[in-house]
Amino acid sequence: MRAVLNTGRNVPQGVAVEHKGSPDYRAAVSVCHMNPVDLMELGSNEGGHVALMSRAGSVVLTTRVAEGMNRGEVFVPLGPYANRIISAETHATGMPDFKGEPVDVVPTDEPVMTIGELMESIGGVWYDH
Amino acid sequence: MIIKDVVCPFCGCLCDDLDVEVDGQTIIKVQNGCTLAEAALTGNNRLPAPIRRTATGWEEISFDDAIRETADILLAADRPLLYGWSSTHGEAQSIGVHIAELLGAVIDNTSTVCHGPSILAIQEVGHPGCTLGQVKNRADVVVYWGCNPTEAHPRHMSRYTTFATGFFVPEAQKDRTVIVVDTRRTESAEIADEFIQIERGRDYEVLAALRAIVRGKGSILPREIAGIAREQLFRVAEICMKAKFGAIFFGLGLTMSSGKYKNVRNAIELTDELNRHTKFTISPLRGHGNVYGSNEVFTWITGYPYAVDFARGIAFYNPGETTAVDILRRGECDAALIVASDPGAHFPHAAAAHLAKIPTILIDPHRTATTPLCRLQMPCTMAGIDAEGTAYRMDGVPIRYKKFLESSYPDDADILKRIHDRIREVQGS
Repeated sequence: MRAVLNTGRNVPQGVAVEHKGSPDYRAAVSVCHMNPVDLMELGSNEGGHVALMSRAGSVVLTTRVAEGMNRGEVFVPLGPYANRIISAETHATGMPDFKGEPVDVVPTDEPVMTIGELMESIGGVWYDH
Repeated sequence: MIIKDVVCPFCGCLCDDLDVEVDGQTIIKVQNGCTLAEAALTGNNRLPAPIRRTATGWEEISFDDAIRETADILLAADRPLLYGWSSTHGEAQSIGVHIAELLGAVIDNTSTVCHGPSILAIQEVGHPGCTLGQVKNRADVVVYWGCNPTEAHPRHMSRYTTFATGFFVPEAQKDRTVIVVDTRRTESAEIADEFIQIERGRDYEVLAALRAIVRGKGSILPREIAGIAREQLFRVAEICMKAKFGAIFFGLGLTMSSGKYKNVRNAIELTDELNRHTKFTISPLRGHGNVYGSNEVFTWITGYPYAVDFARGIAFYNPGETTAVDILRRGECDAALIVASDPGAHFPHAAAAHLAKIPTILIDPHRTATTPLCRLQMPCTMAGIDAEGTAYRMDGVPIRYKKFLESSYPDDADILKRIHDRIREVQGS
């Protein structure tokens, strides 16, 4: 399914934002909110996994039904998962396209990466003490 | 012990009426605050001591060593980037700007990925804004455009708009009309009197259509604009024109969507048009507690609110070139100092990845997603909890953060001052 990615704040993300290594933060920001009809047409159920692919990369997320979403649009809370698929291009404004990145959404059985795995995949070393 | 009138440092509302119950060095209860305030104040994810990345993992080091190494890294760099600054107080931000000037560095703050485009629009056409007190006491029409205050600024509606009783608005819910414009039917939309659901990325067209209606040129509009029936826009324009005092608040739905600063410019120009009929104001909903302060501090020292480049020996400002994401995307900086922010989580990964390739130093109280990318991290106090200082609310009103806990951590302003002094000592300046 072709969709437009919207990212932004929500309460679970805000509550856990100072605990980036916590399961709560991971659960809050590794979700893909979708219109229920889109989810049905995709052949997936709430809680299933989808891969989102953009010009910048791909990421696996857990689906969640969001009645208020327009069809053809998906919402991912801001954070390291959403930023996996946001391009760093700013069109000379300084601001990336955090809202409006075109993505392909496909069901997958792949697991959702941990924050540590995400950061290590771009050269980081996880600190967990 | 209960500490009264604590300022919450989390978001740009800077609510200054929290009661915080403290037992020794632990916050056990937060009253009056929202869910976000409670989590921010009661959370405990502090980094215990400075850490340095080694070949096999991490080791603890002393503050003295960490400060010396930070100064050495920054002095050795050709193009250092100093980024963040929005979750600390103005005193630390000020020292950061002076370090940037000493080094000939680029200094940028989090508005670069937040309301930077709003600032660009304001620089083009001005800012017909006002304080939140004016909105609370006068506004009978409130518009939230491209924002979701229920989740991002949970007390904005109860302190200043929808549910707040004001001097000229004695019965808030009856006297105020609330209009929400968004691409999603959010919780904020659910409590609006009028909800306009726009097709993604088409805010500019809807703003232009409303301007046309307010100008008396509505007859030229097509039946539908961005998925919205023309009749709804006529209705909303009439509500706005009949207002005694209207206030527009906008969020990242305008700054991050296609059009970016041009969307905000069009919203400001709609406000301008509405002022031919009544009083109308417009203001951004600012995110980080003191992001507005970072714009203020940068501006009064350098003349520019963010993305300031000292490489020429003078302050130079060109968003799109001197902004943090662009500098990182181009792989241009060869060292980075990150203070009070988390680009590891909030920058596109291609930009964040460059931080792991260069010596990056992080000054932040918490273990964040930037921690794994940095060469060393120094923990510090949290402004508004165990450090006092000045912050600016989203409407530009300065508010003094209280210090209500003692801690063994150094204030980030003190860490930065030591780095500053070390740089001056080595430079002989």
